[in-house]
Amino acid sequence: MDQSRYAELFRTESREHLAEIDAAVLALEQSGDMTHVATLFRSTHTIKGMAGAMGYGEVERISHSLETLLDLLRAGTQSLDPDAIALLFDGSDALRHALETVREGPPTHVSPAVQRLLDRLAARADAGAPGDLHAASNALSTVPVHPTSDLSPRSGTAIAPESLALDADHLEIFGALAATPAPIGEVRIVDVRLTADCPLKGVRAMLVLTRLRALGVVKSTEPTQHAWQEERFDGTFAITLHTDSDDARLEASVRAAGDVARVAVRGPDVARRSSGHETMRTVRIDLRRLDTLLDLVGELVITRDRLLREADVAVENGADRALARIAHDTARLVSALQDEVLQARMVPVGQVFDRFPRLVRDLARDLGKDVRFTTEGREIELDRSLLEAIGDPILHLLRNALDHGIEDAETRRAAGKPATGQLVLRAGRDRASVVLQVEDDGRGIDRAAILARAQAEGVVDPDLIRLDDDRLLQVLAHAGFSTARAVTSISGRGVGVDVVMTRVRSLGGALEVETLEGQGTVFTLRLPATLAFLRALLVQVEGECYALPAAHVIEVLDFTPGMIVTSLAREWITLRDETLPVVRLRDRFGCARTEEEAFVVVVESSDRRTALLVDGLHTQQDIVVKALDVVRGSAPLFTGATVLGDGTPALIVDVGSLG
Amino acid sequence: MSRTVLICDDAIFMRTMVGDILQQAGFEIVGEAETGVQAVEKYKHLRPDLVTMDIVMPDMGGIDAVREITKHDPTARILMCSAMGQQALVVEAIQAGAKDFVVKPFQPSRVLEAVTRVLAA
Repeated sequence: MDQSRYAELFRTESREHLAEIDAAVLALEQSGDMTHVATLFRSTHTIKGMAGAMGYGEVERISHSLETLLDLLRAGTQSLDPDAIALLFDGSDALRHALETVREGPPTHVSPAVQRLLDRLAARADAGAPGDLHAASNALSTVPVHPTSDLSPRSGTAIAPESLALDADHLEIFGALAATPAPIGEVRIVDVRLTADCPLKGVRAMLVLTRLRALGVVKSTEPTQHAWQEERFDGTFAITLHTDSDDARLEASVRAAGDVARVAVRGPDVARRSSGHETMRTVRIDLRRLDTLLDLVGELVITRDRLLREADVAVENGADRALARIAHDTARLVSALQDEVLQARMVPVGQVFDRFPRLVRDLARDLGKDVRFTTEGREIELDRSLLEAIGDPILHLLRNALDHGIEDAETRRAAGKPATGQLVLRAGRDRASVVLQVEDDGRGIDRAAILARAQAEGVVDPDLIRLDDDRLLQVLAHAGFSTARAVTSISGRGVGVDVVMTRVRSLGGALEVETLEGQGTVFTLRLPATLAFLRALLVQVEGECYALPAAHVIEVLDFTPGMIVTSLAREWITLRDETLPVVRLRDRFGCARTEEEAFVVVVESSDRRTALLVDGLHTQQDIVVKALDVVRGSAPLFTGATVLGDGTPALIVDVGSLG
Repeated sequence: MSRTVLICDDAIFMRTMVGDILQQAGFEIVGEAETGVQAVEKYKHLRPDLVTMDIVMPDMGGIDAVREITKHDPTARILMCSAMGQQALVVEAIQAGAKDFVVKPFQPSRVLEAVTRVLAA
């Protein structure tokens, strides 16, 4: 591996450690819990070792000075006061800056700004030391401070929280064994991962369980069956059972349950290889390779669909059935490959969430507000391209909440609320979507003020009496409107919502808002878990093909004009007991009304169902989403475009915008 | 001899779709049912190798039909056809004796995989 590959590894790995450092300094500031000092020390030490191996003098110097301070803190020679915390924050900022602009050079070579920080750190260290030199030297002797040349990146990362976790796992399992009475057969633990696109994962897990029950006595599942039933898991689970069957039999039986991406059977003495935080053997891959791989799989998926179609035609024309079988086998393999590639791209949202605690803290300070910021659902996974793209929208929403939502302590007390505001960033799964929420307990959005302003600007109907949540969002996201300064000063909010909305839509997602005056606001972002592929129902309107994301499609029916009822100046269709608003895609796409509408497609978005009228139906298929450059302010009817197997382009309809 | 299938769904569109998928794969569609009551009657009469069962149907739903059919023939091979979000109902159907499920909108390869599993079980 050449030097540049090392450099890449160094950067990715040190970024992770920096994130840990930031989190630990924050936690230390909030709790004063000294265990965070150990974490800080470990990460700083690792960065120092790696920088030493790479010859990055500045990074090495900063981390070394930080380490010295941390060591004194740990030994109790220095007290943890605001000045120490400030030094740690400044130190991590300097490290970040140095890491982003890494320069090779001997340790003495540092920028003036860094030199000032180093002086501050040195002064601080000196100030603490003379009081008890003995303690300080004692502390140093208990911490192995290697000469930096000993610390290659490999040995630097070998400080092993992982191996500790494994030991804990051992103990837990042995403990559980000791407590159970003598069992029949052997204890085996079956680790299962369902395919990424497996629908109703909880039910599938139940089918796996049913199969294993036929082969032994099931002792426990992880997570619990209750969590399966509520779909509160990501499709990865473990089942522990007593059984006489051999591992191959167990594995085959689990695979036969369907939608299983991976099965591994182990004994209780082998630590779990695929828990929530993977301790599986890993290899780092350049992200660009992962992107290329995805592009190639995308092409392959399109080719697969063409192959299947052509094979069917060939067989109809008398070709050997063997051709069709080979085509179907190939198709299955391509699907499996697609699953694996998509799975490889999934990253926990925690990676982006980690950026925010520090930003929120700094911003809250600047604004003079007292805010408690918490994150939930960090383990929820999202395609990494989406993850990168949602950072900014989330930051916008957090900023809005801090700036305009959460009141200052005095106002809050006067309103009978706790002085400390609550800001929550939350991730969760909902069907095939990932849901992200930014929730504050601030003053809420002033609907009346927004309405008045919107009416003055002619954005909404002058007769409207109240803005419901949906209308409110429409107004806030109205590009020309939300940038108006007056709105910001009257009621807060507005600024940036259009930016967030545009971004979320372009990712194939949707934005929602709920607000209660005086009690707070929740912004909800719904995103597809993976961006690259979309299962879509293809429909035809005026000879053109359009794609409806399958996750939104509820059912399809034959259409007859007699189904339509007109009431309140709208068209409706009653299906079973439900009356649905009708949207004629011909109208929306600016085509003339004809007699050609032949099908009703019932779609659902944000709990609202709509009956779409289309001319024709094609197949359902996986489409590869290409971003669409929508001109801002134009009707956002589409979220993207795709190219079908036969080469024709199709637009992807934004179901959320049709309601 | 090809395997026989009874398709139960109240929507013609869905019956056609499932029928096409299975026919192309070499199955023989021996009957269709629009209601749960019909499904039970036709099952007794036709004894198909496989039943595809919609969950929401008028005049006895799919889950009750599964119960009736398995009461009559415990070896019946029934594949549930569910919409997204019917998690709890699918669980109930499987407890009632259905062998597997597919989720609408249908993907031919998924339907065939599920059918293969049900018939192999």
